[in-house]
Amino acid sequence: MSFPVWILSDAPILAILIPMGAAGVALTGKVFPRLRGLRHLAIVALLPGVVVLAGTVGPVFRDGTVVHYALGGFTAEPGIILVLDGLAWISSALITFVGILVAVASLSDRKFDAAYFFFLLMTVAGMQSVVFTGDLFTMFVSFEIVAIGVYVLIAWERTPQGLLASLKYLFLSSVGILFFLLGVFLIYRDLGTLSMLRILEVAPELPALGGMSGQMLPPAGAARSVPLAIAALCVGIGVRTAFIPFHTWLPEAHAWAPHPVSALLSGVLIKISFLAMVRIVTVFGAGYLLPLFLWIGGVTALVAVFWALMQHDAKRLLAFHSISQMGYILAAWGAGGAMAEVAAFSHAISHALFKSLLFIVVGVAIERSGTRNVYRMRAAGRGAPLLVVGLLVGALAISGIPPFNGYVSKGLISSVVYGSPVYLMLKVASVATAASFIKLSMVLLPARPEGEIVAPEGTSRRRLPLAEGAVILVLVLAVTAGGLLGGPFGEFLATMTGAIGGAGSGGLAGAAGAPGAVGAAGAGGATAAAGAPGAVGAAGAGGATAAAGAAGGAAPFFSGLFAPDRIGDALLPLVGGAVVAGLVVSSPGRRISHRVSAFAPQLRTVLMFFVVGLVLFAVVPLIG
Amino acid sequence: VTWYLIAAIFLIGLWGIIAEPNLIRKVIALSIANSGITVMYVYFAALSGDEAPILPVSGTAVDPIPHALMLTAIVVGICVVALALVLVQQLYRRYGTLDMREIEDRVWHAEEHE
Repeated sequence: MSFPVWILSDAPILAILIPMGAAGVALTGKVFPRLRGLRHLAIVALLPGVVVLAGTVGPVFRDGTVVHYALGGFTAEPGIILVLDGLAWISSALITFVGILVAVASLSDRKFDAAYFFFLLMTVAGMQSVVFTGDLFTMFVSFEIVAIGVYVLIAWERTPQGLLASLKYLFLSSVGILFFLLGVFLIYRDLGTLSMLRILEVAPELPALGGMSGQMLPPAGAARSVPLAIAALCVGIGVRTAFIPFHTWLPEAHAWAPHPVSALLSGVLIKISFLAMVRIVTVFGAGYLLPLFLWIGGVTALVAVFWALMQHDAKRLLAFHSISQMGYILAAWGAGGAMAEVAAFSHAISHALFKSLLFIVVGVAIERSGTRNVYRMRAAGRGAPLLVVGLLVGALAISGIPPFNGYVSKGLISSVVYGSPVYLMLKVASVATAASFIKLSMVLLPARPEGEIVAPEGTSRRRLPLAEGAVILVLVLAVTAGGLLGGPFGEFLATMTGAIGGAGSGGLAGAAGAPGAVGAAGAGGATAAAGAPGAVGAAGAGGATAAAGAAGGAAPFFSGLFAPDRIGDALLPLVGGAVVAGLVVSSPGRRISHRVSAFAPQLRTVLMFFVVGLVLFAVVPLIG
Repeated sequence: VTWYLIAAIFLIGLWGIIAEPNLIRKVIALSIANSGITVMYVYFAALSGDEAPILPVSGTAVDPIPHALMLTAIVVGICVVALALVLVQQLYRRYGTLDMREIEDRVWHAEEHE
């Protein structure tokens, strides 16, 4: 790499500052309304982020380098330290990629003015800092930066539904973040540190609590209330991640946000909170929570997909699928084992790409036809073949049909959860997924002769805007490439997450060589194996075994990726899905689903779930 | 006892968010719950010493970190409350009521007839 070294050592802060600077450019456009071109300039200002990522991929990938950047040079305890490791790199790349595409997709609409770009880019900057942060309190602040941006963006169109959805999300996530703060407090009280890098130093017994083996020891001494603290942290973040007790804000918020914003929310935001949760659980060795996540994931995937099947609002349908797919991701991660994290992140990335694609395509279709109702929208692709391609590719990818990326990542997940009852749940969910996308694809059918289509004059024939067209094209290519290059890409991910390879950096816990020499190496997979201290950049015993296991598990999976019987397996849900879809769109099916989808829980009911969820997370370690 | 009082503040706030139908009261409750957390941190810090952490210190200074954290958290909380009030005001303009249940009813019903 010919990139200067300072790019590597300063990469974390650059990745945060670049979108922030771009937001500044957009804000200038707000102050001086005549400078309309600044919206475009703001996007150009995002591009150096790509350079930073490209410059750091080499060292992080090849050598397993973990970069620590002490903000302002304060390396001592309260100082803020940013960490760039494999996981952070992947997530940051995802944010940058989707962030740029979403910004470009917003360009064609005049209602997205400079202020909109300011909030959008601040959200991106906030997400970057969630990814890179090395301590819990900075994580809180970053989450709130993201949240404030998102509240504004959801309500941007000022539709009543948008306002209400935003308010609902605000209340829920504020309560969630209060719990998060409570958890931070307990951690600080008992362990005396907030830095995720120093947890091992102050409480070396923690990572031994849970683990791949699943044995649970009662926490000793000061760490007694740590399970409660972790429960509080998980609940706080869980609200943003939207798995089942905490999912209720998502359908409204994602459905009524402006279309590009929906793409960002569904595509990236929920993944980022998932990443934060992975970090926390890994660092605190809360491996005992993994079975819980496995089950929550399975239930989430299954229940949410049926909810999705009932929707007639195209965007709500997609929103419920986001919940369902998060369920897949959680289940994969909860399965534990070396490949689990790879499967989870692989699907997180796949989902980010195809769901952004779907939201943007459906958004354009809604704008063109003037209705959100799946049953009324017809001939959505007329005059815009790219729209048809985009919708079909997205739908096939989410149903796990080769050769798109959903096929690879869903296959990985199946291989990870195989043998558990959750496997069956996910299989059923995938049938329903296929069904609901067959239902969604009905919008491509030709218009009915009786003229049920309700396109307002002059909108139906609107040409596909150039910016959106380009974004759709890029995403289609990315989704396809993710499938065709599934093997190499999967191995890349496995190396980055530390499941394979010598440099054991499975997360912050394995971040060897922290300032102050918190040497602990070898956190392979989802669990923080208590590693040998001091071994900088070298995998400890735990990491080595994990790597061996991963290599064994991964190689056959990737080599036979496009074997005929595998492809046949993947096509089965499509057949089942067609049957289910037929049932749902039949007139009794419609009546039932109409009644179900009209049911929206009230805010107070929703908040009650909270307490239930918290208790659930707190009790699990006790009954284990 | 102080710990219980702090817990009470937090829980009152939480209850307010859950049970109050009035949106303004909900926002106030959010603010109260926020204060509960803030007071908790500050009280914990206050137990750790008996003097303000301003150099030079003669006795034991209190732990300054929680204060710094809470300063940040308060600012963040203010932003969120301000934003919540904006949203509430917009909803009030449209529907002329602050009752969450009624607004929810009307919004989702409007969607039905769309």
